This record gives sequence, C-alpha cells and structure tokens, in this order.
Amino acid sequence: MTTPRTNTAAGSRAPLIDGIEKVTGQAIYTADMETEDCLIGRVLRSPVSHGRIVSIDVSKAAALPGVVGIVTGDDCALTYGVIPIAMNEYPMARDKVRYRGEPVAAVAAINADIAAQALDLIELNIEKLPANYEPSDSRRPDAAQLHDDKPGNLEREVHHHFGDMAAGWAEADLIREGTFRGAETNHAQLEPHAALAEYDPERERLTLHSVSQVPFYVHLMLARCMEMDSSRIRVVKPFVGGGFGARTETLNFELICGLLARKCGGKVMMRLSREETFVTHRGRPDTEVRLKIGLTKTGKITAVECEVTMSGGAYAGYGLVSILYAGALLQGIYDIPNVKYDGYRVYTNHPPCGAMRGHGTVDVRHGFESLLDRMARELGVDPFAVRRANLLQAPMFTLNGLMVNSYGLGECLDKVEAASGWAERRGKLPPGRGLGMACSHYVSGAAKPVHWTGEPHAVVAMKLDFDGSVTVLTGASDIGQGSTTIVAIAAAEILGIDMGRVRVVTNDSAITPKDNGSYSSRVTFMVGNAAIEAAKALRVKLINAAAKKLEANPEDIECEGETFYVRGGSQSVLAFQDVVFAALAEEGTITVKGTFTTPIEAQGGKHRGGAVGSTMGFSYAAQVVEIEVDTDTGQIRIEKVWAALDCGYAINRLAVEGQIEGSVWMGMGQGMSEETRYVDGLPAHASFLDYRFPTIVESPDIEVHIVESIDPLGPFGAKEAGEGALSGFPPALVNAVADAIGMEVDFLPLTPDRVMEELIKMRRKARRKEVSA
Amino acid sequence: MSEPLPDFRLLRPETLDQALAALAEPGAKPMAGGTDLVVNLRRGLVDAPILVDLSGIAGFATIELSDDGLTIGAGVTLAALAADVGVAARYQAIHDAAEVIAGPGHRAAATVGGNLCLDTRCLYYNQSHWWRKSNDFCLKYRGDTCHVAPKGNRCRAAFSGDLAPALMVFDAIAEIAGPDGRRSLPLAEMYHEDGADYLTLAPGEIVVSVRLPATTANSAYDKIRVRGAVDFPLAGVAIACRDAEGGARSLRLAVTGTNSMPLTIEIADLPAGGDVDQFCADLEKAVQKAVSPQRTTTIQPHYRRLAASALARRLARRLL
Amino acid sequence: MKRIISLTINGRKAEDAISDNTLLIDYLRDQKHLTGAKKGCDGGECGACTVLINGAARPACITLAATCDGAEIETIEGQARGGRLTALQRAFHENLGTQCGFCTPGMILSAEALLRHNPDPDDAEIRTALGSNLCRCTGYTKIIASVKVAAEEMRS
Repeated sequence: MTTPRTNTAAGSRAPLIDGIEKVTGQAIYTADMETEDCLIGRVLRSPVSHGRIVSIDVSKAAALPGVVGIVTGDDCALTYGVIPIAMNEYPMARDKVRYRGEPVAAVAAINADIAAQALDLIELNIEKLPANYEPSDSRRPDAAQLHDDKPGNLEREVHHHFGDMAAGWAEADLIREGTFRGAETNHAQLEPHAALAEYDPERERLTLHSVSQVPFYVHLMLARCMEMDSSRIRVVKPFVGGGFGARTETLNFELICGLLARKCGGKVMMRLSREETFVTHRGRPDTEVRLKIGLTKTGKITAVECEVTMSGGAYAGYGLVSILYAGALLQGIYDIPNVKYDGYRVYTNHPPCGAMRGHGTVDVRHGFESLLDRMARELGVDPFAVRRANLLQAPMFTLNGLMVNSYGLGECLDKVEAASGWAERRGKLPPGRGLGMACSHYVSGAAKPVHWTGEPHAVVAMKLDFDGSVTVLTGASDIGQGSTTIVAIAAAEILGIDMGRVRVVTNDSAITPKDNGSYSSRVTFMVGNAAIEAAKALRVKLINAAAKKLEANPEDIECEGETFYVRGGSQSVLAFQDVVFAALAEEGTITVKGTFTTPIEAQGGKHRGGAVGSTMGFSYAAQVVEIEVDTDTGQIRIEKVWAALDCGYAINRLAVEGQIEGSVWMGMGQGMSEETRYVDGLPAHASFLDYRFPTIVESPDIEVHIVESIDPLGPFGAKEAGEGALSGFPPALVNAVADAIGMEVDFLPLTPDRVMEELIKMRRKARRKEVSA
Repeated sequence: MSEPLPDFRLLRPETLDQALAALAEPGAKPMAGGTDLVVNLRRGLVDAPILVDLSGIAGFATIELSDDGLTIGAGVTLAALAADVGVAARYQAIHDAAEVIAGPGHRAAATVGGNLCLDTRCLYYNQSHWWRKSNDFCLKYRGDTCHVAPKGNRCRAAFSGDLAPALMVFDAIAEIAGPDGRRSLPLAEMYHEDGADYLTLAPGEIVVSVRLPATTANSAYDKIRVRGAVDFPLAGVAIACRDAEGGARSLRLAVTGTNSMPLTIEIADLPAGGDVDQFCADLEKAVQKAVSPQRTTTIQPHYRRLAASALARRLARRLL
Repeated sequence: MKRIISLTINGRKAEDAISDNTLLIDYLRDQKHLTGAKKGCDGGECGACTVLINGAARPACITLAATCDGAEIETIEGQARGGRLTALQRAFHENLGTQCGFCTPGMILSAEALLRHNPDPDDAEIRTALGSNLCRCTGYTKIIASVKVAAEEMRS
C-alpha cells in the first residue's frame, strides 16, 4: 500500500496549515464561542466517595429566579461508555454515587452567578457506603461492591499464556523478579473541558460543539442517552487544546450539556474548571507490575511472566482495553519466546481511569526495561547489547499474533548510542551523574475498531470545483498533533499541487465523513492512507481529462508541479487549471473518496482479547537520558535526552520531531513529578500547582533522531510518531539513577521526597554492611 | 467552571492616608499585587466587602539603598526587587529569593508587602468551595477541625513566602502604618505560629516598608520545590554570614515553608579555627530540630525537614 | 459595584463599564471579544491568559480589570499588523512552537516582553522568562527554538 513519493510535499518540514490561527489568537476553541445568548451550565458533584442516593431535592434551586433548567439522574436512564460491552456509567448518577466529583445534577441559568447559587440550593441526601481506594481494599472478601454485576470489584481479568514457560525458565541462566509501581497520572491537556449544546425544540435537533477527540463516539452516545435519532444530531469539533487520551471517549459533561439544552429548549455553554477537568479524569491508572524475566548469559530473553493490577476508578471506561494492552504489548518489541500474562483491572472509588498517551504500555515498559537493565548489570552485559540480543526480524508475527512488517529499533539504538557518546562517556561521568537508556514501541492504530460495523476504518472525501481548489473533507480530529496538515500533505503530494491549493474541512458531522477519532495513534496511518486513496481517485480523473486533451494514453501522463504532460513525448504541457476545466466539463463538480481498511492478517490472534494490540505497524524508539542526582536533597536534574524513533517515514518532519519531543517530555513528567493524589477520594492534585507537570525551567534539551524503516503498508511508508517514545523515558530515568548513584528504584514518579527516602534506606543498608564487615 | 468572584467594592487610594482610611471601613482588606489574593477570591476563601488596592499609593514602590542601609517600599514588585543591582550586590539573599518566586508573570505584579503577608497554605485550604464543603471545611476557614492535625487546637497551614527569611537574616524592621499611626517592629515579630492567624498586624494595619541596616555579611537564599518555577517553596532557607570578633563567624539563619511562620533559628558562632564540618553538622541538626513541617502538602513532611536542613548546611558551607 | 475604566487595548482607546470584581480575562473575553487569552487553570497557574500590561507579561486571570484603569494592554490579537505576523508569531508558526495552540498566545506575549528588553537571550534567560507559561504539547524544545529564531530575525 506504500505509495512512492514523486513530489515534494511529503517529507518536508511543513508548518501546520492551521498554525496561523493559533499564533494570532484567531483559533476558536469551544470555550471561545459566542455566549451572548447562552445559558450557563454547571454540574453538581457528589461530595462522597460511595453512597446510595436517597433523594435529590431541586425545588429550591428551581425556584431561584434566573434558573432555567435542572437535570438529574432521573433525566437519563441509559448508560454510556466507549466499549459496547462495558457501558456502565450514567451521565448523572442514579441510585448510587461511586466517586467524589461524580455528577449528580446540573443547572442551566442565565448567568454564572445564579448557576453557582443554584448548585448550593440543591439538597442532596446520600447515605454513605464504605469506600475502597486501593485495589487491595477492593479485592478483600468483605469489601463493599461498586457494581452488582462485578463481584470482587473486578472489571476484567486477563490470563494469556504463549509458548512453554517451563522450557523458557529452564533455558535461562539468570531469572530475576521485580515489582514496580507507577502512580496514576492525568493528561492535563491545557484546555479545560467545555461543551456548547444548542437544542431546537421545533425541529427536535441538537447541535453540540465539544472538545472531543472522538466526535463520532460523542454523536453515538448523545443519540443513545438522549434517545434521539442520530440524524437529528450534529456534532462539531472546533479547535481543541490538546487531548492525550482525555477525550477519547464520550464524557459526562457532553451528555449533560445536551440534556440541559433540551430541557431548556435553548443553548447551554458549559465550561468546566480545571478541578472539574481533573475530576472527569480518564487518566492512566495507578498500576502495579510484577515481572519475572529469564535471560541467558548473553542476554537473550527466554521467558517473561507479568502480572498487572490496575486501580481503574469507579467505572469501566476503556478499562478492559487498558488491561489487555498491558499484556499484549509485552510483545512486538523484542523476541520473547515464552510469555505468561495475568491482568486485573479493579474498581476503586476514584474518578474513572481511561486511555492516556501510551495507553496500557507505560507502566509495563517501566518495569520491563528497568528489570532488564538490572539483569544486564548482573550479567555484565551492556544495556545496548542486551537489547540488541533480542531484536526482531521483520516481517514477522509475534507469539500473540501481532503483525510486525517494519522494525527500525536496531537503527534507533545505533543512533542514540552514537549521539549520546554512550561508549565513551558512560562510567566516566562525575559523581552523581549518570546515563540510562530504554526502548519502547506503540501501535499505529488498533487494527480492529472499538465499534465493529464492517465499515472501512477511515474515509476521506475530496471535492474539486471550478476555482481549482481541492477541498478535503475529513472527520479526523486534529487536537494539535497536526493530522489536518498530514491530510493536506497527502493530497498535495499525490496530486502534485501546491499546498496552498488545498483546504481541509474537518469535524462537522453534517459535512465531513465519519471518522472513529484521534486515539491509539491511528490517524496518520489510517486517515493518511484514505487521503492518499482519495487523492489518487481524483488524480485518475484529472489524468484522464489531460490525456483526452493531449490526445495521449492516460498511462503516459505525468502530473507534477501543477502541470500535466506526456511522459517523454510532446512538448505540450497543460496547466492544472486547464485540466480542472477539462475534467469538470465531463461531469461538473468532482467529488471522490478514499477509504482505508485493515487487512485481516493485521487484526491479531484468535485468542480472547487478541484484537487489542493488533495494529498495522509499530513505531519503535530508543532513548538515552543523562541526569544528575543531588544526594543532599533527592532532586534529579535531567541534563539531556537523546531520542530516536522509527516512524516508518516522516511525512511531516517538523511534526514528527514535535511529537517525539512532546512524548519524551511527557514521559519525563511521569518519571519525575506527575501523579494524582487523593485524600479520602478527594483530589489533592486538581490544579496545575498540585499536578506538577514540568515547566520550561527544568525541561531539558531533547535531541531527536528520526529513523525511517518504510512500512510496506503505511502511507508513504509512515507509522505513528506521537506515542512510541513516551514509555521509554521513565525506565531510562530509573536506569540513569542506577548508573549515577547505584540506587535501584521501582516506583514512579521519582519525586524528591521518595528519592530521599530511598537514599536513606540505601545509606542505612551500606552502614549495616560496614558494621557487619 | 471556576466560581464567579464574590461581590466586593474595590478602592484604589493614591495616598497612604487614603489607604488607611479605606482600610478602616468594616470588613476592608488590603490587596497588593493580587497574585495570591485573587486566586483565593476565586476559590471563595476571602470574605471582604471592600478590597483596598495598594498598588497606586504614591511613593510605595521605591528602593532606597545607602551606606546606612536599605529601605524597600512594600509596593516594590518582586521583579523590580530582583532586577535591582544594588540589592543584589549587598543583600544577595534578598535578590536570590526575589528572582525565584513563583513565575515571571507573578513577579511582575506581586509585591514585597504582599509576599511578606502571603496567606498561609494548606492542602485542605487551597481548594475549591466544592472540595472544602465536601470535607466539612477546616479550622482555617469556616470549619472547626484542622485536618492536618485533628487533635491540635490550631491551624497548621504553612507560611510559604520566600522574602521573609531573606529579610529576617538582615534583622529587617517592618514599618507599619495603621489606624493608630505608625510603628516599627522587627520583621520576625510580625508573625506568629498559627496558620489561621499568622500575622501580628492589627486590623487596618499594613506594611509600608522594610528597613535593613547596612551589612557586610555574605548571604544567600535557596529553596526546594519540585519544579523550577511556579511552585511554592517546600522549604526555603536564608543565611547571612558575618565576621564576628576574634575571627569568629556569625550566622543568621531563617527558614520558610516548614511552619506557619517564617522561623529564625539561633546558631552559635563558629569560633576562629573551629571545625567547619562539625559546625555544619550541628547546624543541620539544629534546623531539623527547629522546623516542624506538617502534612500541608502531598510532599512528605519529613522530607521537607531534611531538605531544609540539607539546604542550610550547603548554604552555610558555601558562605563560611 | 460598577465603574468606568479607560484604557488602551492593542493601541485603541477603550472606555467600558465593568464591575469591581471583573477579572481582566473576563473583561477581555466577554466584553471585548478578545478570546486569544485563554483560561487554562483556576487561577494563576498556567499562563495561558498572559497579556502585556504596560509592557509586562502578566496573567489576566488573576488581575482585576479595575486595576488596569489607564493601562496599556496588548493581547495576541493586536500583535500582527495588517495581517502580517510578527517575528515571534512567524517563528512559532514555522518552527512548530505551537501544537494545540492553547498556550501559544500567552507564550508569545511572554516572549515578546522578554525580547523587548533583551534582544539576544540565551536558553537560560528564555527559560526564566517563560517560566509562568505551561505547555503540555511541545516539551518546550521548539518553543525555545522559536524564540531564538525570532530574536535573530528581529536583530537583523
């Protein structure tokens, strides 16, 4: 499917085609939309972690002048959720509340002051139930049950087993175990959640503008929860201020906003606070990873056993995918002949977790790459060598049926090893300084979609009209990653036209083709391929028209640089506009479309859950991190990062660099300082003061190297670039700490207080050794 | 969405007398740069029918440096203080502290007076109305229990201003104006150890300036925070080191972020030819003993104790 | 309490009635329809609302509009002249100093304030000057690069 490039749009350093709006303040985000005639919506949230709703009395609030509408759980008796078999959440709680901050009611009023007063007038009577905050609490035999149909508070358990474990352990010269813990993290995208819903009671139609990464799923859930025909709903996604997975499922406020608008027969703007945005959550769960690895003397992996427990929060969300990913993506990066995986996704009385950049892989990769490094040290094998001993040979299928068609990890290792001066510098740095490295990978879209409808995975439409402009219509959600620009590049590249001729219209369900959304790094691969197909279809029409005009065979027509000519033949050259007129003369305005469907062999193994992790192609990354540890204060300084990522082919080099830098840095935040903390279920992290993602001051220089393995199925050979490098940072950091001061840590993040505690333990141990010696 | 601001009247006096008159009105509260106060207003933590904006008072924003000492007007912004080369040359600790407070956007507005009077902070206090209400409020505001130390009888919120310790090591005097006229008091005496009532200022009193004697001391300030900007200090330490009689070295040391007030910690002089290692080890122990960080942030109290003492040792070693 | 404030916004005089408790960010967004300054946090933590007040980059979300009476305010909307980007805007655009764009107006204005008094900042000075502005997309690498490109462009 890889289309060779002939033109120059692909592979360039293209500024985002919607970048000018962003630097001039003209970009309109949901919260920026005109609100002069809007009602203001506010959500009342549960003050308790777990309880039975006895009553909700809204009469006083409803009587407050200026209050136009109030909705509660009574207004929607239908659940929603992203996984069709695991929809167990109501837009507003019914019967029970299961986390502090869960919506229980909402108010629309003529202004924010009145809406706030009204919230205080709603009388909630909730009978408290015991709450579970840790998976170990939830799994106690006498623990309070969050959901009646999920005994033991277990949302999903997974047991996968590939190969012959006994043989694997028997072959090993060194077997080691470790238990690693990663804190819960949040996307903390800079734009707080917001939605604008407008309901027309005469036509019984709803229009919703929202911050979604998945407007299509929002559309489906609005139709379901509001019991509306989906044709009466329109969902529009304006500019979105980041997502990172926070918005890859329908969120409660989107449904509540719709319900309120219908109740009021009007327009409701809902702008969530930062605290509410944190409470809406869907972040990476607190995860415990128990790992056992077997290695031969030379560092070859013989067997891996892994048990993962995720503290998932109060509802299902993406939970079953998270727990499946964690196991499936043990594979696809190294040659692992025998694997056993047990995963448990447990309900707790915290806000629901979900998908976050590097979904499912980050904590397992942290454990795996940390333990692998420790074992390499024990064996006296260099960290690079131990990884090189386990490289895959593409094309191949892994034990669990994952298709690997292109594999640039070896080259990534070479690049960062050379760039960081690893061989010359490691072990020779001043005291407290160290180098660490790790590898990682990620899928380019799930080969099986969440909603199995039989449709293609992606559809892109193109229109060519009298003005000679090409309008591309796509439902792909640009959330800052640059997908709109990728689509424009694909069109310009295939048609041999200037990017200025291309306009991309995105994310309006009334106009653009359906797209599943921006998640699991699917857009470049799937939408990119669909855009190429659409452009090719348009190209055929133009070439046919040019051939007719030039009285030549279509096969002999070349199209590049906005001209058409006969290959090697006559001197006559047709300008693009002339060919457009000729083509339009045949059929008028031209519309074409392109689609992308994943081949069956990409769709994973036959085992239960085998579809999760299956993808068209994996990105691969290696990185080296240089740090300095202040052993007086426990503070770690990141001096520099060298990262290399195999993205197949860099359609937009500038954007690929930006994605690698951003994901490495986000991995750094999770390694260093990011975590959610709860006080009896109340968020102690729900601000940018307390959720400490790095500022510019302590963020290091990140040197990026792009590796291009040219995937046979990728658009121009491309794979994903935005997630693969994230999960390598935390273990590279852990490994660097070991190199710097000989301390092995098995938790994230490495906040100074935790590092200090470990330092004290290490010193104590050293003293005891001294005494006993 | 965040809570709308409560209703209040904003008064913008142009002279000190006007300001004092305005502050004499019932419920009136002063506002300096507003970088902390407005956040607290947004969170519903301030009951003030009247706010008195001190930023327009004539002569409030001057820095006077002479051979006799230094006077810093309460209205001097932290950015201006950090940029003052004279202050940096003679009172390094003050410069060190000013240039790392919050972020540059805050420092452009925040003032010396505001930072000295900065409200104490706590994980149970600096939260939204919904959060605090769900937790039955707290002793500092609208509640009757300190969730940090439920058995105690006072609020444990931590004082987190960076400037106070840096000024205190120079024996700064706060010039205070109020309804009963003006008075001076050692800056250290402007505080007491109660998070809900951390200032000894009487109602209607404000800090007008701080006065520091001339000094020959070497000084420095350093702090611990998780990130390199924005964060409040988990612990901050200022030290000024002077030559004392007979070749001895005399240290003044003050700490912020660990208690409900900035603390001055008494340190015995290092005699001439004294053992510096031992001196620093003793100093470290003294700091550990003096500070009492509580569970007011998610970062462990014990860590903040160790970090404060480690910083103190390191600064002392650098200055001795 | 309502009051009238007179100020200059992006070079234009404005006179408006506001409440004493109106935040500058709300005045700009709701009354002046200048939505370039964003609300990313619940107060003073992210810098997305940064505007220039008398040339100083300050968070508009913790500034009372009434205190800006007589001030000169510059927002992102007033930067480009005649539709042409400033050096900083162009550099952020061409070097991918912006991804999702939400921090960008504040980031550019903080950088603008820096370059006006320090035309040749080094990396450390750029980091210090942009310390109040959080970005969640870029890892800041290309933001620093963008500021340097703009500084060079402005110097030449």
